[in-house]
Amino acid sequence: MSKKPNIAIRVSNVSKDFLLPHEKTTSIKSGIVQAFKKKDKGIDIQHALRDISFEIKDGEFFGILGRNGSGKSTLLKILAEIYQPTSGSVEVNGKLVPFIELGVGFNPELTGRENVYLNGALLGFSKKEIDARYEDIVDFAELRDFMDQKLKNYSSGMQVRLAFSVATRAEADILLVDEVLAVGDVDFQRKCFNYFKSLKVQGKTVVFVSHDMKAVRDYCDRAILIEESKIVFEGTAEKVADEYLKQFN
Amino acid sequence: MRNAGGDKPKRMLVAENIYCYTNQYYMMSNTYRKYRYSLILLRELVITEFKLRYQGSVLGYLWSLLKPLFLFAILYYVFVFFLKIGEGIPHWPVSMLLGIVLWNFFAEITNNGLSAIVGRGDVIRKINFPKYVIILASSVSALINLLLNFVVIAVFMVLNGVDLSWSALLTPLYIIELLAFGVGLAFILSTLYVKFRDTNYIWEIVMQALFYGSAVIYPIAMVVDKSSDLASLLLLNPIAQSIQDVRHVLISDTNPTLFTLTQSPLLSLIPIGLVIVTLAVGAWYFKRRSPYFAEDV
Repeated sequence: MSKKPNIAIRVSNVSKDFLLPHEKTTSIKSGIVQAFKKKDKGIDIQHALRDISFEIKDGEFFGILGRNGSGKSTLLKILAEIYQPTSGSVEVNGKLVPFIELGVGFNPELTGRENVYLNGALLGFSKKEIDARYEDIVDFAELRDFMDQKLKNYSSGMQVRLAFSVATRAEADILLVDEVLAVGDVDFQRKCFNYFKSLKVQGKTVVFVSHDMKAVRDYCDRAILIEESKIVFEGTAEKVADEYLKQFN
Repeated sequence: MRNAGGDKPKRMLVAENIYCYTNQYYMMSNTYRKYRYSLILLRELVITEFKLRYQGSVLGYLWSLLKPLFLFAILYYVFVFFLKIGEGIPHWPVSMLLGIVLWNFFAEITNNGLSAIVGRGDVIRKINFPKYVIILASSVSALINLLLNFVVIAVFMVLNGVDLSWSALLTPLYIIELLAFGVGLAFILSTLYVKFRDTNYIWEIVMQALFYGSAVIYPIAMVVDKSSDLASLLLLNPIAQSIQDVRHVLISDTNPTLFTLTQSPLLSLIPIGLVIVTLAVGAWYFKRRSPYFAEDV
């Protein structure tokens, strides 16, 4: 692997506004009607993020904490380039793979095998690369007998196992993880734990959004706390977790 | 650029049950990396669409051959058998079938393209990838369909005793022109559809008008008999022009084209100009709006 720069992600003064029409204009008629209604312009500006700045170093486990609706997920989507920031900039050094949700692109009408290739393609794997990993993926998911069945016949637990199994093969320098590990039974949780340990061994950078303070304390080196669209606290995972819990006392 | 180490990556065990593969990523150039991802996606989306299209149907892909054939049979009986349209036009039934197949190709690109971005909304909201791949994938599917349909046309051409001339080699050029026009429109329509869900109703009406205005099920010679200028005007539309040109080069050179009617190279360039402008405007508009699809869709 070639030499990488020291900073994995640099977020500078990022703000994100959403324009929310009172009634979402999805037809030309309502668009025209709204243009004529002077009284009710019908647009609210929601400031999802205000002036967010932080840096994540290479190989760091970085937590993003905050209550529901504080803007964590919006921030994660901006890091993943799914959303464009309204102002400010994001610099990402290295290949970034987002796990906003497991099993992106999974189609119930396709077989488990076909879904592995489709989901893999979205993560940037060519057919050949999946071929090389296919056996591992099936073994890890423990679904060998089900691979040629349609996904709609899978239980939700099986779907998650398959999706996670593909996800663990993603070759990224930076992973964005959004509470995907909140699902699954004890055995599955243990696998996730192993996977996270392996990420540390490999020196990957991980950005981790979670409500689970135990997980944050166990894995994260540093963290930020977001409240009402702003960063209110930054520091070691321990301190930020304490601060987060204070909100509820 | 390929890694000298070969295609099979090396496997290392880094934790219980977790393997790590040697990373070939850094060996690749930036441009290659970018287009590599697009190509991987394009391939997989086309395969998926192919598999899903006739899921659960007994005859499966045969339907994409049977559908135009049945449509042709109906139109043939109505227009050729009863209304006696196209009498005196050499090989008109095959020409009509050819027109229907090309029209369906164009319709498939634009109709599927229109809803493609909204249809993939769930994926767009969760991962960042080059969105134009979605449009290209549905166009490539339509192209595969067209190639299958050309098998049927070839059979009919043989049955009808059509003499192939060397000019038939020009056919792919006109198909590319039609493809480019369709893709350009699909870029515009799919982007509009994200914001305005009226787009598909409007497009349905426009398509009806274009269908009857493009001399698909009646010979353009009928219009020429009334007014040569009107026929030329109709042929300024790239769909009518390319269909008529394919008939000219593939079936019989007695089929009038924009050039044979006007004898003006300049006028004959207008449809091609329209295609280029449509594609350029479509690509520009799509590129400008696509970063906001995740929020708007």
